[in-house]
Amino acid sequence: MGVENDAIEAVNLAEPPSGREERKLIREAQRGSAQALSDLYAAHWRHAHRAAYFVVHDGAAAEDIAQDAFLAAIDALDRFDRRRPFAPWLHRIVVNRAVDWGRRESLRRSVGDPEAKSAPPPEAIGEDLMEALAQLPVEQRAVVVLRYLLDYTPGEVARMLELPRGTVNSRLRRALDKLGDLLGEER
Amino acid sequence: MNEKRLRTLLREEPIPGAAEAERRGLELVARAYAERRPERQPVRLRRLAAALAVATLLAALILSPAGAAVRDWVDDVFTAGVDNAEPTLTGVPGGGSLLVQSPRGPWVVQADGSRRLLGSYEEATWSPHGLFVAASSGRTLSAIEPDGTPRWSISARARVGDPRWSPSGFRIAYRAGTSLRVERGDGTASTTIAAASAEVPPVWYPPGPHVLAYLNAERRLVVAEADTGSTIDAARASPGVVGLSWSRDGDELLEITRRGIWLRDVRIGKLAGFFQLGAAARVELPAAAVVRGAAFAPGGHTVAVLLERRSAAGPRSEALLVDPSGGPARRVFAVSGRLTELVWSPDGRRLLLAWPAADQWLFVPTKRGDRLRAIGDVASVFSPGRSSRAPFPRIEGWCC
Repeated sequence: MGVENDAIEAVNLAEPPSGREERKLIREAQRGSAQALSDLYAAHWRHAHRAAYFVVHDGAAAEDIAQDAFLAAIDALDRFDRRRPFAPWLHRIVVNRAVDWGRRESLRRSVGDPEAKSAPPPEAIGEDLMEALAQLPVEQRAVVVLRYLLDYTPGEVARMLELPRGTVNSRLRRALDKLGDLLGEER
Repeated sequence: MNEKRLRTLLREEPIPGAAEAERRGLELVARAYAERRPERQPVRLRRLAAALAVATLLAALILSPAGAAVRDWVDDVFTAGVDNAEPTLTGVPGGGSLLVQSPRGPWVVQADGSRRLLGSYEEATWSPHGLFVAASSGRTLSAIEPDGTPRWSISARARVGDPRWSPSGFRIAYRAGTSLRVERGDGTASTTIAAASAEVPPVWYPPGPHVLAYLNAERRLVVAEADTGSTIDAARASPGVVGLSWSRDGDELLEITRRGIWLRDVRIGKLAGFFQLGAAARVELPAAAVVRGAAFAPGGHTVAVLLERRSAAGPRSEALLVDPSGGPARRVFAVSGRLTELVWSPDGRRLLLAWPAADQWLFVPTKRGDRLRAIGDVASVFSPGRSSRAPFPRIEGWCC
């Protein structure tokens, strides 16, 4: 792919903390440690932002969605059950909001809203993939992102999106087939 | 499409403006966090504020009427005084039924506060769904309906104690003298598990099969098959064990001593039917505290611990919720005085703490948002007609 662009930073997805480390960070953040909150942010922002971006295909919207998810996390921090992992909880918020945003955008485009954006400019990123992804329905993009970017199993994706597992599997299959067709891959 | 390629693309493609977005996001999140939780005061100021708060509380307590020393619940810090303890038992906060042992015998207290004395028994325990009570008196073990109707009785060769009904409802373990025995729930047959056992009540494996854990005479922790008495596994118990608790899923055993609590992993091969006791690990608790009681939550691995610490001003008690995964203990209640018992509600939302000196039961919420309820005049309720000060009753169980 080798895109050269000053606005593009090298990807460095942080390794998520271990369960014990994460529980410790959450505990300290609940107690008021700004450093712990900052560490949690550093551990999870990039995945969250990236997931939102690949679902909505809009830089500004992805940033808003990821920010909203973190603000929701701060609101719920005191009630957060530390025995549960933080990432799935955050990713669920991100992806569901991204899907909602995508649906609204589709609606606006379909009724001719002049402010509605068309597909994002592809020049800055793997063009063929972005173009192909953009042609998938937002619901399929969401399952693709959860499965192949964030590594959830189809069962976990089903729970996060509150869908039957069969629906998740069929969306994944259709998405892969369509991406393959669009990218000219042989099946 | 090739899944591997898709995965690589999604993970490795740079996103335009990602670093700027990350920086802006951090600024926003940090600001929101600071607004939500202002920076903590310096330690000296906090101590001063705490001292002023304590002084205010003490003044309130001194000025309040006698018997009104019930403290409200303030999560994780300390308790404050309120003066509205309910004057008598008119219901069980949170619901369920209590089994309460008084000098006259065990009482069943229904959710609406109605109560019935079951008879002249010395110890009692609920069946798993509260349909029966197993009670002991001298050398006799009896099964009784909650309305007091006896169903059956058996006689043992020695004094019966520590009855514990199995989760299946089909077995009752009890100690007869030093031996440990298991009786069928219909009273038709019994098995000797150990000819000699330590004076510690046995605990049943909660998920169901008739397996129990107990301390033998050599104070080894033994897991045994209840229908045959055969030992499945054994390990040296933590020193000074006075009680045991088994987590709901059966994965952990809690060994309770006066000086601490110990958690032991239990490896279970459900298909092969094996149990393997792991090493016991001491749970970190405040130093120099005496453990008055501890138990797993009904539905999980959280452990409630009742601690007592001595000071020049007298004993001070606190109830903690301990996260076995290593998180810090959360204090849900603390008071100057001696609390003697701790019992979980069936739904895990409350702890019942006994406070004999104040003649009160405290129903302490384990989750934020719920209200502490204190009930006074407990002793006389279970010793009606007694003119002198009645002994404080013992809580035998809180059932479904």
